[in-house]
Formats: sequence, structure tokens, C-alpha cells
Amino acid sequence: MNEVSKTVAHGATHANSPIFPKLAFWEKIKKQRAAKLSLVVLLLISAIGIVGPWIAPYDPTESNYEAFLQGPSAKHVLGTDAIGRDLFSRILYGTRVTLVVAVMAVGITVSAGTMIGVISAYMGGFIDHLLMRIMDILLALPGIILALAIVAALGPSQTNAMIAIGISSIPSFARLIRAATLVIMSSGYVEASRSIGTPSWWIILFQVLPNITNVLFVYMTLFVGGAILDTAALGFIGLGAQPPTPEWGTMLNEGKDYLSDAWWLATYPGLAITIVVLAVNRLGDALRDIFDPRTQK
Amino acid sequence: MKQYLLNRMLSGVIVLLGISIFSFALVHFIPGDPVRIMLGEKATKAQVEQLREQMGLNQPLPHQYLTYMEKAIQGDFGTSLQTERPVIVEIMERFPATAKLAFAGIGIAVVIGLTMGIIAAKYKNTLLDFMLMAAASIGLSLPSFWLGLIVIMLFSVQLGWFPIAGGTGWKDLILPACTLGVLSSAMISRLTRSGMVEVLSHDYIRTARAKGLRESIILFRHALCNVMIPVVTVVGLQIATLLGGAVIIEQVFNWPGIGALAIRAISARDFPMIQGIVLLMGFVYVVVNMMVDLLYGLIDPRVDLITEKEGR
Repeated sequence: MNEVSKTVAHGATHANSPIFPKLAFWEKIKKQRAAKLSLVVLLLISAIGIVGPWIAPYDPTESNYEAFLQGPSAKHVLGTDAIGRDLFSRILYGTRVTLVVAVMAVGITVSAGTMIGVISAYMGGFIDHLLMRIMDILLALPGIILALAIVAALGPSQTNAMIAIGISSIPSFARLIRAATLVIMSSGYVEASRSIGTPSWWIILFQVLPNITNVLFVYMTLFVGGAILDTAALGFIGLGAQPPTPEWGTMLNEGKDYLSDAWWLATYPGLAITIVVLAVNRLGDALRDIFDPRTQK
Repeated sequence: MKQYLLNRMLSGVIVLLGISIFSFALVHFIPGDPVRIMLGEKATKAQVEQLREQMGLNQPLPHQYLTYMEKAIQGDFGTSLQTERPVIVEIMERFPATAKLAFAGIGIAVVIGLTMGIIAAKYKNTLLDFMLMAAASIGLSLPSFWLGLIVIMLFSVQLGWFPIAGGTGWKDLILPACTLGVLSSAMISRLTRSGMVEVLSHDYIRTARAKGLRESIILFRHALCNVMIPVVTVVGLQIATLLGGAVIIEQVFNWPGIGALAIRAISARDFPMIQGIVLLMGFVYVVVNMMVDLLYGLIDPRVDLITEKEGR
């Protein structure tokens, strides 16, 4: 690359940086009480996901034939299930399972969605048209049905659920990223780079991607909540993680047969899901408020 | 107008064609021999060959697709591997139950969502607004199946007010419809609130207040009509989703609709049935979306369908 194009490109990222400076980002998060609280809750939950297996008082898959369907007590804080497994230990282990599946699923969504969105916006014309029509077609099916159809083809398992959930969110993610990329594409510095013959890969890698990172981050957070709900939903209907894996949705499925005898089985795993999703969604909303110029005061 | 409708129908047909390719390709995504997987390990070689022949899987791919489409257009989606009955008959049998649940759920969602949104906007930045929007946030984060279980535990098991699950009568409808309604109302109330807050700050609302109009007329006639477009879009999308079967809720409440049928088909790897349901969902989506587009013009006379077409 020649010197002129480097200067133009550097100027571009530089000129653009005051809009979203990295320090200002943390300052803004610190000012938003909801964002701060959600972030703390999420860090705490992630920590539980990491250290859960070490702090769990019992083995999550070991049955105890002397402790069937026992209610919450000092020995079993959240009670036990139908084969005497400790619910608290299972929820602790389940944190990791649910978070890993959801985050990996969003990883698939983000990598494929970003690639499709950026290429579509950058190339324009026929390729843009073709990619977006394919996305429209996939958007015509509700996300959960798309995920179910993919699980049907691949077979029910935790890994396949992760792949299915990841793929099913690609269309909407790609559309959002395409829109964000189009905004960057219309800016003067990209036009200048293109006019002096900077290669496309360079513009995408060093001008488009750095400038959509904020948007990408916000959408990613907003998608994690949905992915956690879908992971648990697939587990609940028996098409995700398979027993005896302590996944929260699978645990609710096992608990639904004991509604009249053991309320705790159908209560605590659901509460865990709600808390995590609520924290992720609140953080996503707060980040959107911070970055979306339309909602800025 | 005619031209616009024609264009919309054409793009609808393209989406449907795409979905037909997707549902056709599903069988071919299966790793390994799809027929062997559908029939299970115990099937004899003769049975496998017979099903392969019956589903036309030994033909070249383009030929398979054309035959599949030819039959689908005539309403023949094949035979369910589980029940050995025509797929279309099974789907049609369950459609009324799904439609009943979908419309009841959406009805409740619209009433709750609009009411919450309007009240929150009217009392913007008060404790009431904060509480209503916090409830909406929680609603968006609740797993539908968990809320369903809690509702059953509370109202059916503990209080005994409603039957536990399994019927299709009006009494059986109340709990699943309310669960669906409460969850779907979260999004509607947020949209309504943000739209109303913006509209209520406009000059014409101040003029309406200045000339002494009743608050109810200002809220419902002057403000609400102007925030209905995004609300109608979301409601339309939700109807399209729910008419294809509220998959999870139907499963929780044992509601005999298309969603429960879909889960049963997927667990049993009944591919003709899965393909039929996917096609039906696409069809419902296209039809509902077209109706929503037409509704825009009715709600807001400024939305001229012809100019909108040109804008696209």
C-alpha cells in the first residue's frame, strides 16, 4: 500500500475516534446505574460459571437414594430432585453449560453474520441482492423453528443445539451489520481510500471493521439473551443438552413432572435463567442507549 | 395500488420458493443415510429401500425437488412416517387449536401492551412508569416455558382454578393464552411507550390540550394512531409466528396444536411432517406480512403504498 492511502486510512480511524473513544465508553457505562449493575451481576455469574464445579457441595450427577425430592434444607439448600441429586450443585454446574452453549452460539452468529453483512454492504449490486434475499427467506421462519429444523436434521444434542441456535440468528444479525456497514461506507474516508485504489480487504479490515466494533458489541450483547433463552428452550423440549447434563432447560423439563410434589424443581432453574437473561438484556439496552446517537441526549 | 400488490405477491412467491428449497434441503442436510436415520437401526434393508423409493430419494436432486414442488402445490406434502396419515390432514386438524390460542394470546397481548405503554408514557419518568417498564423488561427476559410451569403450579395445582393441561375447551385456553399474552405484551408496551413519549411532545398535542380537548381524546385519537405503525408491525410478526404454532407454550400446556406436532415430529425425525410444517410457516408469514402492509395504509393515510413501493 502506498503512503498516501495509509495516511488517508489512518486519518480516517483517527478522525472517527473522538465519536467513540475507548475511555469515554467506560465513563458512560459507569454513569449508567443499570449498566453497571448488570455488568457486576454478569461478572458474578461468569465467575460462578468458572468456579462452580469447585464450590458445588455435591456431584451434580450422583444420585442419592436416601434423599428423593427433599425440599430446601440446611443440607440441600435448594432441595433435591427425583433421584436425590442436589439441585444447588446442578444449578452451579449448569451455569457453565448454559453460558458456554449461548456464548458459542452467539460466536457462530457474530462471525458468520458479520461476514455476510459486511460483504453484502461492501460489494453491493448482485451479491448484496442475493445475500439479502437469502436472509429474507430465512427470516420468514421464526428463529426457534429454524433452530428446531436444523436440530431435526443434525440430531438432538448439546453441540447441535448450539450450532442450530447460532445459525438461526445469522439472518437478523447480518441485516443489522449490513446497515451499520452502509453508514461507514458512505463516509468520506472510505470513499477517499477507494478512490486512491486501496485494496478492498484493507478497507474492510482497517476502516470498516474498527468503526462498526461498537455496534457489533451492542448487537452481540442483545443476542446473548436470546441465545440463552433458546438454549434453555431446546433443553426443555428435550432437543438440546441431554440428561444427565445439568443444563437449566433440561432441569426444568425433568422438574415439570413433579409440580405438585416438588415446587423447587420447576422454580429455581427458571429463576436462574431469568436473572442471567435480565442482566444481559439490561446491559444490551444500556449499551444501545450509550452508542445509538438517536437516543443520546 | 394493483401494481404494488402484484409486486408484493411476487416477492412473497420468491420467499416461498426459497423456503420450499430450504425445507426440501433439510432431508439432505442429515449426516449419513437419511432413510436409515428416519427408520431407525432396526429397519430391514427392504424397508429402507421401500421408503427411499417412496420418498423418491433415489432420483437426481433437481428431479426430486420438482416432484416435491409439484405435489406440494397440489396440497400433497407426503405421508407422516409416524402416523402414516397425510401430512396436510394432520396439520389441518391441528390448525384450529393453534389459531384459537394465537388470536386469544395476541388479543390479550395487545390490550395489556397498549394499556401499559400508554400509562407509562402519560406518567413519564414517574415511579409508575419505572415499574411498568421494569415489568416489561422482566417479561422480555422470562423463559416462556418457565412462566407456563409457574402459572400451572400456582393456578392449577395449588389453587385448582383451571384444569392442569390437555384439553382444548375455553377453560383450558385461559392459562396458555394469558401466558402468551403477558410475554408478547412486553415488546408491545415498550414500543407503545417510546412512540407515545415522542408523539406527546409534539406541537399538535399541545394545541389539542390548549383548546381544551378531553385527555382521553388526545391520547387515543391524536396520539395513539400515530404510534400504531411499529406496533402493528410487531403484532403482525407475532401473529405469523404464533399461527405456525406457539411451539414451547403448546408443549408446556399440552395444547394439541401445530407447535406440539412440530416437536413430536422432530423428536421422531418424521421429515415429511417437518417439511410440511416449515412450508406452512413460510406461507403464513408471507400472507400475514402482506396483510400488515395493507393495514399501514388504513392506519395512517399518509402512508401511500405506491410511494412506499418506489422507496424500496
